[in-house]
Amino acid sequence: MALRDALTIMVVDDMSTSRSLIIMALEEMGIRKIDFSTDGASALQALAQKPVHLVISDYNMPNMDGLHLLQALRHNPATKGVGFILVSGRVDQNIINVGRQLGMNNFIQKPFTTPQMRECIQAVVGQL
Amino acid sequence: MSTANDIRQTFFQECDELLEALDDGLSEIDDGIADATFSIDTVNAVFRAVHSIKGGAAAFGLDALVHFAHQFETVLDAMRSGQLQATEEGMKICHRAADHLNDLVAAGRENRELDAGSGPDIAARLAGLVAMPESAPAPTPPVSGEGGFGFAPLSLDLGAITQDSGQTTFVIAFRPHRALYASGNDTALILRELDEMGVLTVEVATEGLPDFDAIEAGEAYLSWTLRLVTEESEGAVRDVFEFVEGMCDLQIEAVADAPAGAEIPLPAAPETPVAAPVGAPPAPPPAPAQSRDKPAEAEGPKATVRVNLDLVDRLINMVGELVINQAVLTQCVKDAGLLDRGDLSTSLAEFRNLARDIQESVMAIRAQSVKPLFQRMARIVREAAELSGKETEFVTEGEATEVDKTIIERLVDPLTHMIRNAVDHGLESPQDRLAAGKPATGRVTLSAAHRSGRVLIEVSDDGAGINRPKVFQIAVEKGLIPPESQLKDAEIDNLLFMPGFSTASQVSNLSGRGVGMDVVRSAIQKLGGRVSIQSQRGKGTTMSISLPLTLAVLDGMVVDVAGQTMVVPITAIVETLRPKPEDIHALGADNLVVSVRNKLVPVIDLGVVFGHRGAPASISDMVVLLVESDSHTSWALAVDQIFDQRQVVIKGLESNYGHVPGVAAATILGDGNIALIIDPEETAHRSGAAIDPGELALLDEV
Repeated sequence: MALRDALTIMVVDDMSTSRSLIIMALEEMGIRKIDFSTDGASALQALAQKPVHLVISDYNMPNMDGLHLLQALRHNPATKGVGFILVSGRVDQNIINVGRQLGMNNFIQKPFTTPQMRECIQAVVGQL
Repeated sequence: MSTANDIRQTFFQECDELLEALDDGLSEIDDGIADATFSIDTVNAVFRAVHSIKGGAAAFGLDALVHFAHQFETVLDAMRSGQLQATEEGMKICHRAADHLNDLVAAGRENRELDAGSGPDIAARLAGLVAMPESAPAPTPPVSGEGGFGFAPLSLDLGAITQDSGQTTFVIAFRPHRALYASGNDTALILRELDEMGVLTVEVATEGLPDFDAIEAGEAYLSWTLRLVTEESEGAVRDVFEFVEGMCDLQIEAVADAPAGAEIPLPAAPETPVAAPVGAPPAPPPAPAQSRDKPAEAEGPKATVRVNLDLVDRLINMVGELVINQAVLTQCVKDAGLLDRGDLSTSLAEFRNLARDIQESVMAIRAQSVKPLFQRMARIVREAAELSGKETEFVTEGEATEVDKTIIERLVDPLTHMIRNAVDHGLESPQDRLAAGKPATGRVTLSAAHRSGRVLIEVSDDGAGINRPKVFQIAVEKGLIPPESQLKDAEIDNLLFMPGFSTASQVSNLSGRGVGMDVVRSAIQKLGGRVSIQSQRGKGTTMSISLPLTLAVLDGMVVDVAGQTMVVPITAIVETLRPKPEDIHALGADNLVVSVRNKLVPVIDLGVVFGHRGAPASISDMVVLLVESDSHTSWALAVDQIFDQRQVVIKGLESNYGHVPGVAAATILGDGNIALIIDPEETAHRSGAAIDPGELALLDEV
């Protein structure tokens, strides 16, 4: 079984356009087990019930941004091992630094292409 | 699966919502600017709207949009971080920037470039607010691994994750009601069952317990707070309480266990109020768990579902069929002579009510609030005010009023024109206003309200009012009325709606674009509406539009025209009468007029106009429907008899037959037959309008 068949991913973004774009890229890679949330708080709730392998989250969202989501995930034993990729429209070194301290696994800037996203994910989980 | 094109569509839909949120937020800041009462959340929401548009736009390569959104975002960013104080002047620029953003989105949607226009100007004014590098978004390495971020690989345990890893702690607040005990349930059994699921801590609250003497055996006095650490799901925990549902207050909350870890300060993130204080145990699920008897409400102010409009229209069509079918069924029962059977007629009545309820609910789906429309108009006011140099305050009322989507769409042009008129012609210049003892800032009000099954939309200004002598003079000069006409004030006001009328002595940049109020009127009439005007010298002018709530049904009068059934919209009919022979006069060879209260009205025989009969029948045997256009031109439509007055479902003909002059649409009657719905005014014109009603104005005085 290829990794892409087993991999479960949660996409967190308040904007359905961005969400759809991420999901479309994932589907193009052959990843099927994709769930999504529209903000950090609801993602946290969903992940506490049903953890995934990898969270791909937007930074700027209402009701808990991406970094606060990351922090909360790392605090919960049930989710502290989850992979975390932060997506943001701008590269802010401060955000990246804090993200890294919190245990962010990778960062990708919007807009991205499918190969870029693939590279970003493979850097975290290995060959898809 | 979604395709890129679908997502693009979603993006533009989302842009509309974001632009609306942007407008809302900016207006909120406007309102609070004087006393600085607007909240930082509002500024954040505004920022996020622009930021999200930029993000999406970048994905679709809409460079112009990205570039401008970036500039706008920089200003808003400065505002939310406190580097830039919100000022009235600054907000004006932000409003203009929002307008421009709107244009760019629209251009992007249609895949076209926006003409240079005012774009650079606004961009420059934005740049003037903050020291801004004149560059596009900094080109930063988009891919991981670069930009100084070393990725952190994960080792994945693919097997482990599919099950719930770890345990969950549930905090359960449980307060039995009297009914729980009365129905033979035992709280001890419930607690025992929970205990078997994991590690249970029980706390009982005995505060409610009265003195021993006062205890009533059947009463419930105790409540418990339970803490359960279990591998079971929340559903399983809830199942324990299955049999006591509704007989107790119950709250089950999942709490994430949180060993305190190293605290890392997060960057100040003003854009998101954090659910829990950072550093405290991570946020418990923000929506408190609901007790069982209350269904979980979706969070957020308005939960909405996006539905393809085609689906809604199909539903509306089917409901239309249902209504028709109901009418057919009623007719069948009637024909079979079964209507006097009590149970049958009761069921039929219920069916009719249900069909109507369903219809109304479905119509409500298509209904939209007029708010986006009003927001567009706010922009028109801003532009008009800037071009004409008149300080204008724009006030809206009844933004939540809901109207059929199509009607809203078709209102854009006429309303735009009316709003421009109000600013350009209605309001005086600031100097004139001050001279007249008014505040220099003029006021334009746009309001919407439901009024007896219709929607009333009013545009009013507090300007000088209609200059009636001037209007009269112009109408005479343009040959619209004879110089010796004696017109009442209302009649003079209505001259504005006559084709070819324009009062601006010089064609101004704004309104005088060759489109007159007559075009506004005909656009409104096409929607089944009426427009009227009231004015008070020195006080201002109000234009009122009255519209049907929907374009899917109308109240019609079902009439017989030479053996054919036709429907005349009730809204057009002023009165119905059976003329006496002496009231009918011949004018010329075959033109008839009927005298109604000393007013002569041209008679139009519908049978002749629609070719149902060759020669006119004897009018005195017929019924006359007096219809009136908003210019107070009247016609008398002659029909053979009136059958009924009822709500009919409108079936468009234009997609199949093109536009047939005089026919608005068709409908299906209870007996399954098709009847044409006529457009009275077009019918009058189609008949060659026998006599120009204008000429009759002269005869009236005789």
